[in-house]
Amino acid sequence: MNRNERSDELHAKVQRFARGDQALNFADLAREITEFQREFSPGFARLLVRLGRTPNAIEEIPGVPCDAFRVARVALHAESEDLRCFATSGTTGGARGTHALRRIDTYREVALSFGRRALLADDRSRRVVALAPRLDDPPTSSLGHMMALFMSDFEGSVESEIHSPERWLIGEHGVDLEALERAARDARDADQTLIVLATSFALVALLDALAGRAIAAPARTVIMQTGGFKGKSREIAASELRRAVAESFGIDPRCVVAEYGMTELTSQLYEATLPGSALEAEHHGMPGVYFEPPWLRVVPVDPVGLEPVAPGETGIARIVDLANIDSALAIQTQDRVRRVNGGIELLGRAPGATPRGCSLTIEEFLQARSP
Amino acid sequence: MSSTRAERRARLEPLLESARSLVDGTSTRGKFARERLVEASGLSRQGVDFALKRCLEANPSEAELSTLLASTPEAPRAQVLLSANVFVAAHRAIALALAAAPLVFVRASRREPAMTELLLDGARGSFELMPELEPRAGDQLWAYGSDETLRDVARKLPPGVSLHAHGTGFGVGVIDGALADTELEAQLARFSEDVALFDQRGCLSPRALLVQGSSERTREVARVLARRLAALEAAIPRGTLQTAELAEIARYRDSAVFCGELFDAGSGFVSVGVEFALPPIGRNVHVFAAAAPARTLASLAEFITVHAVEGKPELRAALAEALPSARSCAFGGMQTPPFDGPVDRRQRRF
Repeated sequence: MNRNERSDELHAKVQRFARGDQALNFADLAREITEFQREFSPGFARLLVRLGRTPNAIEEIPGVPCDAFRVARVALHAESEDLRCFATSGTTGGARGTHALRRIDTYREVALSFGRRALLADDRSRRVVALAPRLDDPPTSSLGHMMALFMSDFEGSVESEIHSPERWLIGEHGVDLEALERAARDARDADQTLIVLATSFALVALLDALAGRAIAAPARTVIMQTGGFKGKSREIAASELRRAVAESFGIDPRCVVAEYGMTELTSQLYEATLPGSALEAEHHGMPGVYFEPPWLRVVPVDPVGLEPVAPGETGIARIVDLANIDSALAIQTQDRVRRVNGGIELLGRAPGATPRGCSLTIEEFLQARSP
Repeated sequence: MSSTRAERRARLEPLLESARSLVDGTSTRGKFARERLVEASGLSRQGVDFALKRCLEANPSEAELSTLLASTPEAPRAQVLLSANVFVAAHRAIALALAAAPLVFVRASRREPAMTELLLDGARGSFELMPELEPRAGDQLWAYGSDETLRDVARKLPPGVSLHAHGTGFGVGVIDGALADTELEAQLARFSEDVALFDQRGCLSPRALLVQGSSERTREVARVLARRLAALEAAIPRGTLQTAELAEIARYRDSAVFCGELFDAGSGFVSVGVEFALPPIGRNVHVFAAAAPARTLASLAEFITVHAVEGKPELRAALAEALPSARSCAFGGMQTPPFDGPVDRRQRRF
């Protein structure tokens, strides 16, 4: 089999696994993908050589640092085979990276499969809007692409409806409050569940725009909140943001569900707080604790030695995502995490070193060079 | 009410004498300085000794001092705001202020006041150590720190104060790949010393080496440099790094392995790539091939404080033109610029 045939076979297996095929298991799939990437990703092969052994456990698979996505192409296939190329939104570090995908159907399968479990509480009719800018065509934001998938799947809407300006409620002048209130009213009148997909900084912008006012939203409103602030708004503590957003929509704070995802990944993690959702039924999660889908594992590792830390100890997240078939099976983030109650607690980005000298830091350099 | 040249020169002498007494590692002051500086800087004992002997400008030539005096503006009062710089920087910074004014006020780094205190101990009355500076109109202020700190200083400055702001930066080496192997080895041994001094914490510390040559030759240069760095570390061990610095090194190292090639170099490494990258401090160097080094470095001019070059005159000329504010020197001389003014000649505005 050639590279793409092997890749296609792995995509099929991961999709089957995501659909619950009991004949497959995480460890075997991880092993197969490791071998596939060893053969077709020279960079990953070099990381394995440096490791000095074949990984015997999921925890031993070396992670490709997120930084690598900013300075190199992290893909097993040629650029001409890219079906989508998602750009990172940039962090305080400045430079942007991309995640090239040869196939998009696995993204769809895993995003929907776990998104439904975290964000849907019943079978009622739904209306989905996004506190996000209008979607590019083709989408260059993985988050935007995921939001569009959710609109289409959760609502059963057709493609043309997804691109409607009534769906994407961040414009040139910030939050389109009128359109949001219209969506809330329409959902209420039609006895629908309102699902609002939003970034953290968009929610802060919404709170600022509301200036203490409330939105007359349906009782069954669900808010999906994702991402950090990236310097785009004032920062609010997660618990305070959740409380304020819930109050503005007149809903139970447990209906504000945080998602953790990143462009370098194909899959996402969610809090298991939404009453009535499959994920909540399984985990009865607390706010701030994120749960992995069965095809993704978070391994907290020591930031210096990159070895797994003891259970319950804080480390930085190495994420093994089986759906990253054509890029990097494991990625090494700088996000501090701790395993708690079967889930993952996010503790923010690992702090940079305190400068001791007048050498230019990498962070300063990237910031100065960012457009 | 300006001072005569002789008066200004005389003001420098106690400071120079104080510095001189620190260089000798067998003297009481020299021993005490080493103890304090090892603790404050995180460098190894050998690293501190090497830096004091190599980089502390205890015996500048009269020609250098003349240039320093000629290039320093005069004022009734001068102020110095020091950051947690490489420790020898305090000496030059205070010397500039003494050349400028009879009254000098210095605020040392809160985290690393050791060198400033050591210099003052040996030159009582030359300058005053202050918990906070209060510059006023007519003062000259030399400030050192991150760009963020310097922007803050500039913003809060009263009108009429002249600010000389020196931020962060790095050095680069440029080498002609056509050098004979023995000469290459010698040059890279000297470059290793530039790298090892202060464990690359200085704004003059080289972080990248451009090779004018093929990718094969570049790889060979990287391999030799890694070997020289490892050999030097046996004599001058790397100091302690913060956990966050070690984490940054681990992250960069794996990125470098993924994106290119990496040679272990004692505690540090040498990465090889096809374009510029800035490795973390801690004796880590990025080596890459550049057919036209001057053109490659021109876009980085605002960050580059010094370049060492070993190559044809045309290459030197092109680099001088591309990096007009950077000092130019030979390999092994990056951390010892003449004592003729600020080491950082970039006139950046904050």
